[in-house]
Amino acid sequence: MKYDVVIIGGGITGTAIAHCLAQYQLKTILLEEGTDVAFRATKQNGAVCHPGYDPHPGTLKAKLNPPGARMYPRLARELGFKIRNTGTLVVAYSDRDLKKVDELMDNARINGVEQVERLNQEQLRNREPHINKDALGALLARSTNMVDAFEVAIAFMENAMQNGTDLGLNQQVRKIEKRAEEDFLIHTQDRVYETRFIINAAGIHADDVAAMAGIHEYKMQGRHGNLCVMDKVLPIHTVMFPCPGPATKGIALIPTVSGNFILGSTATMRDDKYDTSNDAPGIEDLIRGAKLLLPEFDPRCIIRTFAGQRPVCLDNDNDFYIRESESCKGFIHAAGIQSPGIGAAPGVAEYVRDILADAGCDLKPRPDYDPYREPVPDFSDMSLEEKDEMIKKDPAWGKIVCRCETVPEGEIIAAIRQPLGARTVEGVKRRCRAGMGRCQGGFCQFRVMHILARELGIPEEEVRFEERDAQVLYGRLKGMR
Amino acid sequence: MRSLQYDVVIVGGGPAGLAAALKAREKAERVAILERNDELGGILNQCIHNGFGLHVFKEELTGPEYAQRYIDMVAETDIGCYLETMVLDITPNRQIIAMNPEGMLIIEAGAVVLAMGCRERTRSQIRIPGTRPAGVFTAGLAQRYMNMENFRPGNRAVILGSGDIGLIMARRMTLEGIKVLGVYELMPYANGLLRNIKNCLEDFDIPLHLSMAVTRIIGQKRLQAVEVSAVDENLKPIPGTEEVIPCDTLLLSVGLIPENELSRQAGVELSPVTSGPVVDEKLQTSVPGIFACGNVLHVHDLVDQVTLEAEDAGSSAAAYACRTQSEDAQAAVSRQVPETEVRPEGLVRYTVPSRISTAADSATIKFRVARPVDSGRLLITSGSQVLYETKKPKIFIPSIMENIKIRPSSISDPSAAVTVTVVES
Repeated sequence: MKYDVVIIGGGITGTAIAHCLAQYQLKTILLEEGTDVAFRATKQNGAVCHPGYDPHPGTLKAKLNPPGARMYPRLARELGFKIRNTGTLVVAYSDRDLKKVDELMDNARINGVEQVERLNQEQLRNREPHINKDALGALLARSTNMVDAFEVAIAFMENAMQNGTDLGLNQQVRKIEKRAEEDFLIHTQDRVYETRFIINAAGIHADDVAAMAGIHEYKMQGRHGNLCVMDKVLPIHTVMFPCPGPATKGIALIPTVSGNFILGSTATMRDDKYDTSNDAPGIEDLIRGAKLLLPEFDPRCIIRTFAGQRPVCLDNDNDFYIRESESCKGFIHAAGIQSPGIGAAPGVAEYVRDILADAGCDLKPRPDYDPYREPVPDFSDMSLEEKDEMIKKDPAWGKIVCRCETVPEGEIIAAIRQPLGARTVEGVKRRCRAGMGRCQGGFCQFRVMHILARELGIPEEEVRFEERDAQVLYGRLKGMR
Repeated sequence: MRSLQYDVVIVGGGPAGLAAALKAREKAERVAILERNDELGGILNQCIHNGFGLHVFKEELTGPEYAQRYIDMVAETDIGCYLETMVLDITPNRQIIAMNPEGMLIIEAGAVVLAMGCRERTRSQIRIPGTRPAGVFTAGLAQRYMNMENFRPGNRAVILGSGDIGLIMARRMTLEGIKVLGVYELMPYANGLLRNIKNCLEDFDIPLHLSMAVTRIIGQKRLQAVEVSAVDENLKPIPGTEEVIPCDTLLLSVGLIPENELSRQAGVELSPVTSGPVVDEKLQTSVPGIFACGNVLHVHDLVDQVTLEAEDAGSSAAAYACRTQSEDAQAAVSRQVPETEVRPEGLVRYTVPSRISTAADSATIKFRVARPVDSGRLLITSGSQVLYETKKPKIFIPSIMENIKIRPSSISDPSAAVTVTVVES
C-alpha cells in the first residue's frame, strides 16, 4: 500500500495531525499498535486542556500550547466532543508560592495567554468556598477547558477517516527501511506500507520507532503518574493545582466534562517505560494532595484508580521534540509530547504540517473537505422531551444498560457503529461511559459483552476487554443453551 | 410522555420491593413496582444455591424459588409491574421521572418505597494497586456470568473477601471445574455466615487465609497473578510477607454499598455508617412519605429479614398514602410528640432505626457490632431507664444482624436519647 504520509501512533498527537492533514489532498494512514486510538498516555492523564500560562517562554511548549488551546472551542463545535470551561486555580500557601504565581502571571503575558488574573484570599474563597483555609491567594486562568482526551482523539480520527484518511489498528511497526528514491517501507507484524513521509507520534515508543529508521537523536523515558477518578460529589468548580514543582504541575483536583473529578498525578521516573501499574504509596500521595487543596476530601468517593507514563524526551529540557530528522529526510518527529500535550495538540498538528510543507510535501486543499463530525448522541444530556422522542423512534434507547451513568442500549449500538466504532469492553466505556461509573461495570459488563458480540457478529468469548489477547470469558459452561 | 398516578410506588422489584408491594396493596388501592430489569426478583435470580426461606417459609428454597413465590403472589393482585423501567429522578414531593422502551414516564406517588438494593465494592474502592487487566470480577458479576449467562469466567481463581457471595462462589466455581486456590480475608475473622464457611469452603478443602490482603494485581492483558501479603493489627501489609500466586481470575467479595443515588436526589438524609437512609421506626426517611427497606437501607444477612422489613415499610407507606383527614390531623399531633434519637454506643456500630417516636407502641431495633464479642450483654437504655437487657451473656459477631423489639411509648423521658450498647463480660 502506497501513501504520501504515514503517521505512527494514535494518541492525541497522532490523531490531531491526521485531522489537520485530512484537509489536504494527501493519501494518509495512521498506524496504531493498540485495539483503539487513545490507547496509552492519551487515556491516562488528568484531561486538562491547559491554556498555556505554565510553559517557559521560548520553548516549543510555550509556542504551541496557547494557539492549540484557543482552537478547542471551535473544534468541539465542529467535531461534537464535550468541552467544559472550568478555569484553573494555581493555589499559593506561602510567600514563595505567591512569587511563583507572579512568575506564572509573567509567563502568561509573554506567552500571550489572556484572562489570567491574581486572586487574593477573599476572592479565592468566594470562588471556591471549600478550599483550604491556609491558602493565601491564587492565579486564576479563566480560559482552561476540560475535555475527555480520548473522546477528542476519537473525534479527530473519525473526522479524518470521513475525509479519506486510513486507519490501521493492531498495527505494530517492527521495521523501517529507507530507500534511495526518497521513500520508506514500513513493516508491521503482517503488512508493508510504502510512504514518502513518516510522522513519528509514537509517544513513549518514539525513540524505538526512530531507531528502526537508524535515527538515534534522543531517548524516551516515562515519568509515571498515579491518578484517581472520583464520584460526582466534590464541592469544587475549578481545576485546582498547587504551585508547580520543577518538573510537574503537582497534584491537582480536576472537575471533568462528565461531572466526575480526577485527582492526579504523582510524578516519578520509572525504569520500565511500559509499566502503567499504580502503586499504594502513590495513591496515598494523591489523597494527601487532595486534602491539601480540599481538607474535607473523603477517599471513599474514589471509584477508579489508574496510572500512566508521560513520554519524556531526555536531554531536551522537558520540552516537546518536533522537527524533521537531520540525518533522515522525510522522517518527522513529534516526540516528547507530555503535559500540556492535550492543549497543545492542535497547535502541534499545524506545526507538523508546516514542517511537512517545508520538507517538500505538496499541500493542496481538498475541495470536498468536511470539518464536521456527527458524535454519538449523549442520552444523559438530553431533555425529557428529547429522550421521549429518541425512545419512540427506537426502543433500544429506552433500555438502560449502564445504570450508574444512564447509558441506554441504543447509545452503545451507536458507539459500535460509528466510523471508528468501539470494538472492546473498554472501547465502549470510553465512547459512551457504560462501565465508567461507581459500580465499574459490575452490573452492566455482561450486557455490554452481549451487545458487542451481537453487533460484531462474534461469539461472546471472542469479545476482548481492552488489549488484543485480553480474553474475558473462556467458553460455555454447559453444552446446551 | 405518559403521566401516571399511584398511591404507593415501589422503586425496585427485588425481594424487598415485592414484599413491600404486597403488604402495601392490603391497604392501598393503587400500587406499582418499577423494576429496571426485564424480570422481577432482583439478585435472587442468580442465587441458584439453597438456604433461602428458612424463617419465612420454614423450608429451604433456592433464590429463584424464593423470588418466584413472591412474583406469583404479586401476579394474583392488580399491582402494576413496570419492567425494564429505570427511575431517573425522585423529587421530595414524590414525583418520579422514569423511562422504559415505550418512552418517558412521570408518576405522582402518594408514598414512595425505596427498595433499590445495593451494589458491590470494586477493586478501586479498596484501592488494590497494580495493572488493570481482564479477569478481575466482583463476585456477583462472576455469578451472573456463570449462573445466568452460562459462561466460564476463568480457570484458576483467587477470592478476596470472605463475605457470603465470595464463599458461595468458591463452591460454585469448584463445582464447575475452576480451581479455587484460596479465599483471602483482610480481617482476623471470616465475614460470611458460619454455615457458608462450612458448606462452601471446608467441605471442598478450599483454604481460608485470615489477616491477608491482595497487595498487587499483575498482568497486562489477562490477569497473570496476584500478590498477597499478611497484614498487621492495623490492617497494613507487612513488608516481607508478599507471596505471588499465579491465577487468571480474581473475585472480589469485599462488601456491599446501598444504592442511594436516587435517595440523594430526593433529598433523603443518609447515614455515613450504613450509607443508607436515616429512618424512624416506621422506616420513613427524613423526607415525609418516602420510606426505605431492604439492602438500600442497610445490608442484610438473609433475604428473610429483607422480606420482613419490607412488609413493615409497605404497610407504613400505604398508611401514609391512604391517611384520612382525621388521621392526618392525628399525625400532625403525634409529630409534636418529640422524636427520640437512637444512638449506637461502644461496640455497636449502627442501629436502624436511628430515631423513634415515643408515641409508638412498638419498634424493632436492628444493629450490628463492630467486631466479634465472645460473651457480651445487650443493654438498651433511655437515660437511667432500662428498656431492654439480655439476661445471659451471648456471642455477637458483625456478620449477624441483631433484632430487638422495644416499647417506645414506655419511655419516661423523651428528651433522653435511647442508647444501644453491648457490654463485654
